[in-house]
Amino acid sequence: MAVSTIYSTQALNSTHFLTSSPSSSTSKQVFFYRRHQSQTNRRFNTIITCAAQQTVVIGLAADSGCGKSTFMRRLTSVFGGAAEPPKGGNPDSNTLISDMTTVICLDDYHSLDRTGRKEKGVTALDPRANDFDLMYEQVKALKSGIAVEKPIYNHVTGLLDAPELIQPPKILVIEGLHPMFDERVRELLDFSIYLDISNEVKFAWKIQRDMAERGHSLESIKASIEARKPDFDAFIDPQKQYADAVIEVLPTQLIPDDNEGKVLRVRLIMKEGVKYFSPVYLFDEGSTISWIPCGRKLTCSYPGIKFNYEPDTYFDHEVSVLEMDGQFDRLDELIYVESHLSNLSSKFYGEVTQQMLKHADFPGSNNGTGLFQTIVGLKIRDLYEQLIANKATAPAEAAKA
Amino acid sequence: MMSTTASHGRVMILPSPSRALQNQQPLIGSDMFRLKQTEPRGSRLVVAATAKYKGTKMREEKLSEMIVEKVKEATEVCEADVRSEECKVAWDEVEEVSQARADLRIKLRLLNQDPLESFCQENPETDECRIYED
Repeated sequence: MAVSTIYSTQALNSTHFLTSSPSSSTSKQVFFYRRHQSQTNRRFNTIITCAAQQTVVIGLAADSGCGKSTFMRRLTSVFGGAAEPPKGGNPDSNTLISDMTTVICLDDYHSLDRTGRKEKGVTALDPRANDFDLMYEQVKALKSGIAVEKPIYNHVTGLLDAPELIQPPKILVIEGLHPMFDERVRELLDFSIYLDISNEVKFAWKIQRDMAERGHSLESIKASIEARKPDFDAFIDPQKQYADAVIEVLPTQLIPDDNEGKVLRVRLIMKEGVKYFSPVYLFDEGSTISWIPCGRKLTCSYPGIKFNYEPDTYFDHEVSVLEMDGQFDRLDELIYVESHLSNLSSKFYGEVTQQMLKHADFPGSNNGTGLFQTIVGLKIRDLYEQLIANKATAPAEAAKA
Repeated sequence: MMSTTASHGRVMILPSPSRALQNQQPLIGSDMFRLKQTEPRGSRLVVAATAKYKGTKMREEKLSEMIVEKVKEATEVCEADVRSEECKVAWDEVEEVSQARADLRIKLRLLNQDPLESFCQENPETDECRIYED
């Protein structure tokens, strides 16, 4: 028996957020059933449909591995529920599952395991180490509501483990080095994000990450970044031109000669004209604004906070850029900033702040990285709701005709 | 939708994520980091920052050892030619293993999740699932 949900078109036209329905049945029974009540009040056209899963696919390009990505956790948190590895499966699985979302690590589509790459002389960044055909087939299948047996790349052993079953979720996130590399996969993405970390910040972060390990030193960390750079520049970096949103992380301009990488300047580059995506803005959409919130009403501690907003061009696309330099020290700074931003797609005043607080432990919680990741999360939720509402009202419009 | 004319500085009662905070006073401009430290996390243990199961501890150690080995290997391989494929691949392996090590650390410390948790619920008698004691 297929599980059906009954919607009236009134409900669909509101912004009521759809909570998760019971898990999809294993058998694929898809049928559409329409009932048009023409005699009664024309405002209430009731349509009963049993629709196949409408999976929204998001791509995230990042060179920070999978599974730990705090971006992913912030994103899944916006939808509610914590993202966890699949229960009872391979403990080295890279997949994260929550009520609404499933996050897949694209390393699982490595065609060569660690030994294979060594033999061929190819890094993980190289497209030759990845099976894009399989990636395309499986993302396409999940998008159409079909479960797949996805391989697992084990980062501990460096081997390809037995596949795990992935059920089609409401929101599928594909995270990794090459979400936008293959054109066919790109076409499947409803929204894409590129996390662009500048070299100085990358170096500072990797030092923080690795210095505690006895195998590492400043030299080894530096050498590793430099050795990977040619492949990174050739294969990964060019993807940013395709992204709907780029989060660029740079060293701060507020502290002269800062090389600790603790205070960051973060730019949210948002493509204009993307369906269901309305860029965040400051004060006056499409204008150029420079804003320092710290002053008479708000006291900030050193080095303070500085915002910029302006229209720009990025790889021949019209974009809007919102930039934050500095860090938040107190809750009221965050609320103050939130109250002056527009088009956040938040559902209530203070939602961005609440989300940031929820993950106050995560890196970036006091600067633009956490702020913009949270905002992008809300944007994705908004996009999802619009997409779902749109897909459901399309039959309604046809029925009225 | 955010209103651009929304005022700041009024008393903010934020809906609290954790059950424990539900009965407390409204938050008024408190220090965000003080908040982080004093907020009790419901029924979750905040303290455990190390592996719970022996299997996870073993993975942690293995990854750390692999880092030492692979850094050594990469340094040697690259002495011949820094631009060679072998050199690139060697440092890429270092990166992969370093990231895996960091991921595990983050899972344990930040998220309080032992990757073997669900496996060990089903198979408590295996060697990997012995509770790790320092």
